[in-house]
Amino acid sequence: MQSKTKELDPILEVNNLFASIENLPILKGVTISVNPGEIHAIMGRNGCGKSTLSKIIAGHPSYNITKGEIKFTGNDIHSLEPEERAQSGIFLGFQYPIEIPGVSNLEFLRVATNARRKFLNKEELDTFDFEDLVKEKLDLVKMDSAFLSRSINQGFSGGEKKRNEILQMALLEPKIAILDETDSGLDIDALRIVASGIKKISNEQTGIILITHYQRLLDEIQPDYVHVMADGQIIKTGESDLALELEKYGYEWTDNFIKEQ
Amino acid sequence: MQIIEEIKKNELISNPSEIQKICLDKLKLNPLPNIKSEYWRLSNKSKFSSFLDHSNKNKESKVNLPYKKASQNIIRLIIGENNSINLEKENYSIKKLKEIEIIDYIKKNISNSDQNDHWSDLLNHCLSSKENILGLNISGNKIPPLEIFSASSPDSFNAKTLILFFEKNSKVDLIQINLGNKNSSLSQSTYLCLEENTLVNHGVVSYGESKSNLLNSLNVIQKNKSEYSLGSLHFKFNYARFEIRINQLDGNAKTNIKGIQITKNNDQIATYTTMQFNGPNGFLDQINKSLADDKSHAVFEGSIIVPKIAQKTDASQLSRNLLLSRHAKIDTKPQLEIIADDVKCKHGATISQLNEEELFYMRSRGLTLAEASKLQLSSYIQEIISSIPISKDRWDLLDKILKEN
Repeated sequence: MQSKTKELDPILEVNNLFASIENLPILKGVTISVNPGEIHAIMGRNGCGKSTLSKIIAGHPSYNITKGEIKFTGNDIHSLEPEERAQSGIFLGFQYPIEIPGVSNLEFLRVATNARRKFLNKEELDTFDFEDLVKEKLDLVKMDSAFLSRSINQGFSGGEKKRNEILQMALLEPKIAILDETDSGLDIDALRIVASGIKKISNEQTGIILITHYQRLLDEIQPDYVHVMADGQIIKTGESDLALELEKYGYEWTDNFIKEQ
Repeated sequence: MQIIEEIKKNELISNPSEIQKICLDKLKLNPLPNIKSEYWRLSNKSKFSSFLDHSNKNKESKVNLPYKKASQNIIRLIIGENNSINLEKENYSIKKLKEIEIIDYIKKNISNSDQNDHWSDLLNHCLSSKENILGLNISGNKIPPLEIFSASSPDSFNAKTLILFFEKNSKVDLIQINLGNKNSSLSQSTYLCLEENTLVNHGVVSYGESKSNLLNSLNVIQKNKSEYSLGSLHFKFNYARFEIRINQLDGNAKTNIKGIQITKNNDQIATYTTMQFNGPNGFLDQINKSLADDKSHAVFEGSIIVPKIAQKTDASQLSRNLLLSRHAKIDTKPQLEIIADDVKCKHGATISQLNEEELFYMRSRGLTLAEASKLQLSSYIQEIISSIPISKDRWDLLDKILKEN
């Protein structure tokens, strides 16, 4: 399939990636390439390896790459720590954002933002300047500033946690954002707020991978490409109408595809 | 065990006081605690011996205070240096206790007490000279915050005693700081007596230097409608033992305890608490935390005693512990002894490690492993530190701990 922006170098290239956790193979040869400005959707049954792929790209230490490579802006990131990946512009929006009692959300966001700014050779922000910036970004996801004084995600509803993820994405201005089931647990209004936030943050230099089960997020954010994952592989890639087909016919055909293989 | 040899030979003090004589007689019969008893069995024997290895010196070096006074409003006292305080103000008074009051109070306490359980106090009173006993009577509800320092001198054993009587309706913030000098042992015994309707917010911060040891004993008596809150922090001792004994004498009183001990290297720090309810409607909320790194050992043993008279007691004791190294060790044992039948008591203990998913979450936002661990530890410690009175100093202290860890 031809890239929409073929004249640009890809931001992210995953080539024939095999990975396991505690010797259990999860990814069995995933290949995907994302160019600047592109939105990709990855769909598939629970347990097919979507979340694993996102965590491996972000550098989760529990997973072991057994074959293949991940390139970010042309460089192999295999040896990079999760924080180095984040600082250089890889963002993972968690399916289940972690609650961290006792750690102030505001302080956490400030340290994270400054880590990214330092990488970009931008001046680090003090508490006052950071508060100005964060208040501006809060509007994108219609969050109340009261959330900042609470502990990270503690006592947040499902929707608030997801909005907090998008707030972090807005502050970190990543080159690639992998959003793992950002739509799960959201009501229609919250979904629209989150989708609108993502659209405002993304631009021609940003690549986005949306991991989702449902068409409803893709109604709000139209993907350039849709990939279907099954048994640790991408078994089909198409344009946005592929998601509509999946919505209509379900995932049963993917089981047959795997059996035939 | 130089101190014990000196006790046996009665060479400890040239001219012992009445209290010293009583305690010496008690200890001569049985100079060491029973290390097989529940109260002492986890004490590291060689470290305990090193505690007793220094000789008692009457001449002490001047205490180097670790930080400046946060405000002129604070009353700062150093046990052994300025015991002659006498303040009579419009809204409060702080008066030195008479010698006879001190003797009577200590005598009353040691005569009825179990020798093994109160061994630390007996040793303290054997060695604590008159100059090293600070006794105060405090009253009023607009008392400035009190800061009381106790310190050991380098290469010696020092014993300090603090006795505070809080009169009816008094209200005070009190911070007690115990400083262990290098290669030294400090014995600190504290007695607090809270009369009816008093409110005492007490912080105890103990930290040492290389090879310093501490025996810290705290005895609190609470009368009707009194409220006692304790926030404590112990760190950087080769060997430290914090014994807390609180007695709600008539019930209808409230006790809050939040404590943390931080161990590193080869340290051993232990906290033992005994909470005695001797009347109805008593309340306790206790959290004890340990944070153990390297090859260190942290111990917590908590006991809540609820006799038949203590109906409607509401008590909670939690022990939360964090192991930072696979070679570190934590022993914890919260326990209840309940005879009364109409009570609400709960206890629990957890031992865990730094949460890897939390660390990954923070790292995936660009924080280094060190920064993420520091934030996690800071939040773990902060819950306790924030309960220690006198705000500015506690944050300086938190910074100090985090820099040193």
